[in-house]
Amino acid sequence: MWKLLLVAILAINHCNAVLETDANTLVLLDNLAIRETHSIFFKSLQDRGFKLTYKLADDSGLLLSRYGEYLYKNLIIFAPSVEEFGGDISVERLAQFVDDGGNVLVAGSEKSGDALREFASECGFELDEEKAAVIDHLHYDVSDTGDHTTILTSALNLIDAASVVGSENRKADAAPLLYRGTGLIADKENPLVLKLLTAESSAYSYNPEQSVSDYPHAVGRNTLLIAALQARNNARVVFSGSLQFFADESFTMAVQYAQNGAFFKQAGNRAVAESISKWVFGESGRLRVASVRHHKVGEKNPPEQAYTITDPVVYTIAIEELVQGKWQPFKANDIQLEFVRIDPFVRTFLKQTKSGSYEARFKIPDVYGVYQFKVDYNRVGYTHLYNTTQVSVRPLEHTQYERFIPSAFPYYTSAFSMMIGVFVFSFVFLHFKEETRAGKDDKKTQ
Amino acid sequence: MTVDITGGSSGAATKARGFLTWEKREHLVKLAILILAAVLSFATRLFSVLRFESVIHEFDPYFNYRTTRFLAEQGFYKFHNWFDDRAWYPLGRIIGGTIYPGLMVTSAALYRLMWLLNITIDIRNVCVFLAPFFSSLTTLVTYALTKEIHSTGAGLVAAALISIVPGYISRSVAGSYDNEGIAIFCMLFTYYLWIKAVKTGTIFWSAVSALAYFYMVSSWGGYVFLINLIPLHVIALMFTGRFSHRIYIAYSTLYCVGTILSMQISFVGFQPIQSSEHMLALGVFGLCQIHAFVDYLRSRMPKDHFEILFKTLVSSVISVVLIIGTVLTITGKVSPWTGRFYSLLDPSYAKNHIPIIASVSEHQPTSWSSFYFDLQILVFLFPAGLYFCFARLTDSNIFIILYGVTSIYFAGVMVRLMLVLAPVMCILSGIAISHLLAKYIKSVDAGGAKLASESKRQHKKLEQQTGGVKSEVAIGFVSIITLMLIVYTFHCTWVTSEAYSSPSIVLSARSHDGGRIIFDDFREAYYWLQMNTPEDARIMSWWDYGYQITAMANRTILVDNNTWNNTHISRVGQAMASSEEKAYEIMRELDVDYVLVIFGGLTGYSSDDINKFLWMVRIGGSTDRGAHIKEKDYYAANGEFRVDKEGSPTLLNCLMYKMCYYRFGQMYTEGGKAQGYDRVRAAEIGNKDFELDVLEEAYTTEHWLVRIYKVKDLPNRGV
Repeated sequence: MWKLLLVAILAINHCNAVLETDANTLVLLDNLAIRETHSIFFKSLQDRGFKLTYKLADDSGLLLSRYGEYLYKNLIIFAPSVEEFGGDISVERLAQFVDDGGNVLVAGSEKSGDALREFASECGFELDEEKAAVIDHLHYDVSDTGDHTTILTSALNLIDAASVVGSENRKADAAPLLYRGTGLIADKENPLVLKLLTAESSAYSYNPEQSVSDYPHAVGRNTLLIAALQARNNARVVFSGSLQFFADESFTMAVQYAQNGAFFKQAGNRAVAESISKWVFGESGRLRVASVRHHKVGEKNPPEQAYTITDPVVYTIAIEELVQGKWQPFKANDIQLEFVRIDPFVRTFLKQTKSGSYEARFKIPDVYGVYQFKVDYNRVGYTHLYNTTQVSVRPLEHTQYERFIPSAFPYYTSAFSMMIGVFVFSFVFLHFKEETRAGKDDKKTQ
Repeated sequence: MTVDITGGSSGAATKARGFLTWEKREHLVKLAILILAAVLSFATRLFSVLRFESVIHEFDPYFNYRTTRFLAEQGFYKFHNWFDDRAWYPLGRIIGGTIYPGLMVTSAALYRLMWLLNITIDIRNVCVFLAPFFSSLTTLVTYALTKEIHSTGAGLVAAALISIVPGYISRSVAGSYDNEGIAIFCMLFTYYLWIKAVKTGTIFWSAVSALAYFYMVSSWGGYVFLINLIPLHVIALMFTGRFSHRIYIAYSTLYCVGTILSMQISFVGFQPIQSSEHMLALGVFGLCQIHAFVDYLRSRMPKDHFEILFKTLVSSVISVVLIIGTVLTITGKVSPWTGRFYSLLDPSYAKNHIPIIASVSEHQPTSWSSFYFDLQILVFLFPAGLYFCFARLTDSNIFIILYGVTSIYFAGVMVRLMLVLAPVMCILSGIAISHLLAKYIKSVDAGGAKLASESKRQHKKLEQQTGGVKSEVAIGFVSIITLMLIVYTFHCTWVTSEAYSSPSIVLSARSHDGGRIIFDDFREAYYWLQMNTPEDARIMSWWDYGYQITAMANRTILVDNNTWNNTHISRVGQAMASSEEKAYEIMRELDVDYVLVIFGGLTGYSSDDINKFLWMVRIGGSTDRGAHIKEKDYYAANGEFRVDKEGSPTLLNCLMYKMCYYRFGQMYTEGGKAQGYDRVRAAEIGNKDFELDVLEEAYTTEHWLVRIYKVKDLPNRGV
């Protein structure tokens, strides 16, 4: 009885792990058996509050959105072999889904279909050729059948971002990750791709049944096992070359390096998969700007029209992070503020005043124009935080200049003495009559 | 005066004949002619308003209109301190300190006055009708000036001539709300008061003249012409030995008061004592003092002593002036000759050195035909007038001679200065006609012929007639002159109606059946911008359209017609002339949201952006950052600028080309021609099938005159 109660309490707690609005998730499968072989992974999602809807990938009744609104926030595609999606879903539709803010988790395998390949290239990476698998002759598991495709990769090959892979998982003594599947190649041009997990330096990706005649597409650490894309609108896509990575078997199996015999009771897959799923569905690493305020020092509100040059100004920004389904103050010490007019005129660190509230005080430059307060906080694993506030900076008004400048006093003196002199002179000239001299009249009439 | 109009001058005239004396009748006729001329000058400028609407018609005046509205609504102090963050993004512009406020203040004052009198007129209408109103005043002041210089008769003829002279109408039709509209009045008024001051030698008239000068300075940058002409007059008087105490008082007062007043305009600032354009005035002021002092010494000293003193004084003064002048120029206290002024003296200067000056069509040298077009018979009467002035040289005649000779030179250098020439043409022609008629009409009268209406004016001459010309010759001559004047009237009306009354904001064309088609695309586009874009959207366009976009669409723009920052304009030119990728970088840097281009290929509107494009290339390439843009890359192999297949690949792939011709390759524009036939360039465009990568079409107006593109964001998924 008390166990039941505990489960209920845990369930309530877990429901809070994900925001209510982000809970709807569509799971596309090759066949319903995958639901069973990957039950631990799905179970963990459900425990965290996700509402999973299982569908076959080629189901003709698939529907992503209805009446212009998306039915799901998240999408899991565990259907490596699908050649063409059914119903409403297509590769273009998926790309649109990402552009509209949806998160996608995809797992492929050696036998990935065209649909996944096309979607991968939409997101900035490439699946290796059909039948190609990641092969590592030095780091394979004892359970390997001889192709050396059931490889083990060290947890140190995970990306160095705690919000993506969890803070506990990336350690030298952590269990290695079991992987069997194809390799991914990142598009070098694309700056948004994240290499979540790479293979060991001795790995390469090739068809294990053929002898190596061409140079493999992916060699060594360039062989991506799991890649991610955080789009500019902060939608997240994770692409794994291996469906097996998320299977119950990989989560529970004991692993042993075949070469040096190092043994681990359990592969590291479970913790990593859960961390990655938390990240991709926006449970971790999400930031938002709660409020932005700016005003002159000593005032409460921003000026109605514009700041004046050389005004001292206070800029405050409150940043929040989503932790356990709640928006909490975000703590960091490397957030910068720029005051930009084409080029940044001021660049300064924001100081944390109270938790989650950052402040910068500076003097507006002595150049008028239209400026932007710009906070551009871009860290791997976190939402790309970008906030600009446009303000105008005007020159001094005509009444704001100094009336008397000390250094000009000689000029004032000379001007006033000249004025007085002219006045006195003309007064004397006009009213002083010298009657004795005779020549004066001639001059006047001249 | 207005009472006389409404009372019906003809009725008054018939009644008058019965009991009015000769002088009164003459006075009445004078008044009637003047009022008719003033009314005519107002009425002839209304073609555009009657044909289209009562709106501001040109590009530049939209700024004046916007500022006037601001002034009328917010008051002078707000206006004076106005920092405009909607223009020149992200630099902004201090409007209060960078304009000549005379025009706006005049309109706002008139507007307030009207409301005070319970005439609830819209500020827009004040602006539209201000220029015609001021040309009426110009007519009156021309009469006064010519009368001072020559005679009443000449004044009346000059007033009649100037009321319809096309050279002046071109800048003062209803709806063209520009500085020049009131500046010509200010200029002639200042001249009138200056002549008065020279004639009387009183401080009063020269102080009033300084006030008029202040008004002139507040309204137009062309005041520089005035402040050089008056000193020139003084110098000429000195050399002809006509320098006297009158001139001394008139000039010294005018210079001192006028300079101090002109420095109150914040745009002018310290220029009157620093820039070399004003140095003539300063130098002549000094010369006046020396001349007066020398005269004083001469009257007090023996002759031989004076000679020695004079020689040493002259040589030492010249050397001191030279040294000081060089030192100040080297240290930069005296600003070097600015480009605009160089281009006056050497027409090729601007073209070779400053593309932004040369790109303005009104800065081009004047062609001979446009002299005739704008002035007609005045061109031939002008020398005659000059001759009559030389024949009877007076202080004031010398002034008008100088004015005529200098302004005809400047008008030859720059088209827009035709405006300054037109009044003096009218004055001198007025003198010539009145002189000739006065001479010949006497003979006509002696022969017993019926009087022409002009003869009445010459009544005084009639009394002391001496004869000398045969009656037939006289009749022939008078009728020829009359015929010429009638032809002049028809020419002026025709020019006004056909050439100067077509606004550039609304275009019209003739259709096949002779009907009038109106292209209202500009306003369509601007209203679209106003209704469909965010309040703070930033719009990039070539600078010609800047003022209109801010005034009509109320959006932020990057560059506008106030071409104060060459680098910024150059940056926009670079964006237009670069390939899409390069342009995208520039547009991101400048936070551009929308791009607007004017395209005439469909309608045949020839002053569109493709035809202006070479200027964008030149201006874009004129700064350091645009050094990679070279004009010759945009010419075809044979050195022509062409948009068809022969055109240079750089041109066919630059942003401006793509924006203008996007989707144009699928259009049929003219019967019998292939798709994508450009009616302005008369060519089938060379690059038809292309897609835009970094832009998307946002709006294209009905006749494709204005095309608006939205700048895309960076790709969401990074590829």
